[in-house]
Amino acid sequence: MPREAEPSQNEKDFILKAVREGHRLDGRALDQFRQLDLQFGEQYGVADVTLGKTRILAKVTAEVTVPYTDRPFDGIFTITTELSPMASPAFEVNRPTETEVLLSRLLEKTVRRSNSLDTESLCLVAGQKCWSIRVDLHVLSHDGNLIDASCLAVVAALRHFRKPDTSIEGDTLTVYTPAEREPVPLSWLHSPFCITFSFFGSISVGEDGEEKDIWLLDTTLLEEQLRVSSCTISMNKHGEICQVAKPGGAPVEAVTVVQCSSLALQKVKDLSDFVDQKLAEDSKHRNKGGLLAELSADNAR
Amino acid sequence: MTTTTTSGPEALLSHLHSADGSATFSYAGYTIVGAVNGPIEAQRRDEIPEEAVVDVVVRPAAGVGGTRERHLEGLLQSTLRQIILVTNFPRALIQITLQITVAPENEYVNTKVVQANTNLPILPALIQTAVLTLMSAAIPLTATLASVVIAATTEDGSNREIINPTAREIEKSRSLHVFAFTSHGDLILTQSEGEFTMQEWEDIVASAQRQCCPSTSGDINMGDDAASGADLGTFTRSVMEAKIASDLYWK
Repeated sequence: MPREAEPSQNEKDFILKAVREGHRLDGRALDQFRQLDLQFGEQYGVADVTLGKTRILAKVTAEVTVPYTDRPFDGIFTITTELSPMASPAFEVNRPTETEVLLSRLLEKTVRRSNSLDTESLCLVAGQKCWSIRVDLHVLSHDGNLIDASCLAVVAALRHFRKPDTSIEGDTLTVYTPAEREPVPLSWLHSPFCITFSFFGSISVGEDGEEKDIWLLDTTLLEEQLRVSSCTISMNKHGEICQVAKPGGAPVEAVTVVQCSSLALQKVKDLSDFVDQKLAEDSKHRNKGGLLAELSADNAR
Repeated sequence: MTTTTTSGPEALLSHLHSADGSATFSYAGYTIVGAVNGPIEAQRRDEIPEEAVVDVVVRPAAGVGGTRERHLEGLLQSTLRQIILVTNFPRALIQITLQITVAPENEYVNTKVVQANTNLPILPALIQTAVLTLMSAAIPLTATLASVVIAATTEDGSNREIINPTAREIEKSRSLHVFAFTSHGDLILTQSEGEFTMQEWEDIVASAQRQCCPSTSGDINMGDDAASGADLGTFTRSVMEAKIASDLYWK
């Protein structure tokens, strides 16, 4: 099936009218997220994010490779997204759709280019050996807002991940298996999150007929098909903006973008606290009897 | 070594909302999410005039699929089109996506993402997931499948068969075999690798049949074999019974 079935005219009119009057089909407020859940796997570096009916699985793996010749002091960090027919029959195997290209580009800009993972710490022997960290993103179920959910999954999986411990003595590099030494976490600098605003045109408010843009947060697939444009803002909990993307669509007032970014900060703080709390729960669950600290060969900094 | 061979198989049906049928199956350290879309329109160049096209996609947990996944897809495709009533849906497409989410890890070895070796031990889990997803999508089938992986090892000069071996046991084994049987007790798939004689193979087929379809083989498993795994044929049946019972609760 080459593309998704479009909503009918009646459906379109109904949803748009409801949105103009400040209502959504599922009864949420315009700036309310759906039920968010995050689960970690048995193994390190597996995060399963459920946002309403959208479900995303991220898996992190590490292996030792040769660094790129032009960047001998940096490790390799890649994020791979491939949408399978599992998410929707509209996605074909080995033929990236526009959604997929935009998604991987945004994740790249948000997580990789904002330097959340310190790639220099992945270097083992300059120019010869480095860690290659790879994040695989699997979209199991697609019901809108892939970007925000994927970004959350990637960040959570990377923060949960532990890579094998290594040591260098003279010229010999030893990579310890999990049975020999407890794996160590990645050197993580900050956690960026994406917040996507979907615009649905403008309505006039007040007596002087002032125009006001209408936007929704965490849209479902149906709402996403009807929006006129969207804007993704990525920032961390300190309010540092990593990127702003508004790929085409109808124009939006500059004031609206400023308002959106201040609301984004509030939402990012919520998401950040949520991930911190889930990670703390998971480490508490793994650290039964408090023996993990003794197993670790990590130096306290 | 992380294996959950001791725990029984688990399945969750119809949990993904956009696919026609879906299932998550976990057994012996593997967890696989499967989805079926079908019968849908086939591409013009792929369609078969009098039959449905069965398309299987196997996606690894990490890395992009390579020759190993293509090999598994080929095996699954030829097996599944035997049990799906393909002649009921001419010029249609039945698309099966199997996503591996958890594979057992060997704690004594640091694994590489790209592995060139074949991966027979995962085949039973893939087959089972595919059958469960097809049933969840209500695709008409002639039979269900049950499959098993058996490793043959030599310990202190005597031969031994291990049902659902762990990663370490496979490493030490002489040969590895995968069999799938239909619910009528017919052998539908056999894959073997390693060194073995014809006599050994026949013995292993017999024990695989006892494992997969205890009712049809006429032989009663007395539970003398400690390594005996779960009976996946009965498991599939009980999962479907539970699903139907909960679906028809309103009646």
